[in-house]
Amino acid sequence: MDWTPLLLSAKLAFWAMALIPIAAAPLAYLLAFGRFRGKSVLDAIVALPMVLPPTVLGFGLLMVMGPRGVAGAAWEELTGGRLVFSFAGILIASLIFNLPFAVQPLRASFEKMDSRLLESAAILGLSPAAAFFRIILPNCIGGLAASSILVFAHSLGEFGVILMVGGSIPGKTQVASIAIFEAVEAMRFNDAFLMSATLIPVSFAVLMIINKLNARRP
Amino acid sequence: MKRIAAFVLALALLLPSGAMAADLLIAQAANYTTIMQEEIIPAFEKATGLTVQATYASTGKLYGQIVSGAPFDMLLAADESRPEKLHADGLAHTPFVYATGQVVLWSLDKKLCSKGWKSAVQDPGVKKISIANTETAPYGTSAMQALQATGMWEAAQPRLVFGQSITQAFQFAFTGAADVGFIAYSSVFTEEGKKGCFVVVDEAPPVVQSGCILKNAPNPDAAARFAEFLVSPEVQAMKLKYGYK
Repeated sequence: MDWTPLLLSAKLAFWAMALIPIAAAPLAYLLAFGRFRGKSVLDAIVALPMVLPPTVLGFGLLMVMGPRGVAGAAWEELTGGRLVFSFAGILIASLIFNLPFAVQPLRASFEKMDSRLLESAAILGLSPAAAFFRIILPNCIGGLAASSILVFAHSLGEFGVILMVGGSIPGKTQVASIAIFEAVEAMRFNDAFLMSATLIPVSFAVLMIINKLNARRP
Repeated sequence: MKRIAAFVLALALLLPSGAMAADLLIAQAANYTTIMQEEIIPAFEKATGLTVQATYASTGKLYGQIVSGAPFDMLLAADESRPEKLHADGLAHTPFVYATGQVVLWSLDKKLCSKGWKSAVQDPGVKKISIANTETAPYGTSAMQALQATGMWEAAQPRLVFGQSITQAFQFAFTGAADVGFIAYSSVFTEEGKKGCFVVVDEAPPVVQSGCILKNAPNPDAAARFAEFLVSPEVQAMKLKYGYK
């Protein structure tokens, strides 16, 4: 039994969890506090990865991130390597796929914040950027943690998108869900069972943490 | 509330009735989808007046469904082993060969095909080579055997990317994500396949696709007629057109 796919899934989930706030927090801020034309359009675009079938999203990403696509060509120019079929590739794909799952809870927690805090901050002369880092983020730390951990859990079981852009390379892009799928296809039911049996308690623990954080959220 | 319940109940009763009319239900390996849908099934329906339905999935999945009691009449696999196994386990009648496929190397970059498949695989500009899963997809196994027979398997390893099926291996190649791909000869005849070039991989053993009629077939007579039709001269001509023997 090879445990590499499970470790790889954990690594992917960890990096997705760590990096998602960088993409999700500014978007959630815009959607919660912004007043601008096209806000509903932005809202819909951010939610799109949640509605699209993962294989459709994955196929789109394969085109864009492949060497003939905009992002893939730029990446190849910069690094000399190929973006699709690499760990960085499946990480970027996971971040895009997970964006709505992180933005929604963050936005909700921003909107639930006491607006008087922000008003006081503005009156006391804090710039919007400073207010974001010194008032909003500390007050919404529960929401931030919950959204990141949700992304961690979601990345652990990620299948369709990674199937399309990963290429199932052992140790690089062959994550647990893909390895389990392949084991079932090859009738190695024992391997599939062992890997699934490991994923279940881990996922359960992560969900318990999310529930705890949600209960405490301001 | 009662009205809604009645409506849902009526819908539930009405909806499936359209789909139950088939006289023959086939479990078909996905690589044979195009020729079945476009040629074989319409011709058979026209000749016999029977209606045929087919489920297209990987041989492994279909095998799993059959072992779990799926009500198919016959399995048309992408390999020989699964029908043989069903036969050995007493779930199917004697298997028969219905098509033989061939592995080719395909690329969007037409320069790569001119010097043969071996130099294309070794070309320094080729960063990624797509191949179907070598364990579950027969075309993947065959391509792997060709690489092993020519001593290139070890050297090619770091550049290989694996598709779950031969279709996905082709997808990686025709989107350009992989520079070249080991694909089925039959894919060369598709719309996308015509946009690139190909070389036949002579060292790859032919992929023998066999089928079997299931012991629990709800329509054994229709299945027997279809099995006979599959090896008729009429279908033989269709197979050549789609890159099978």
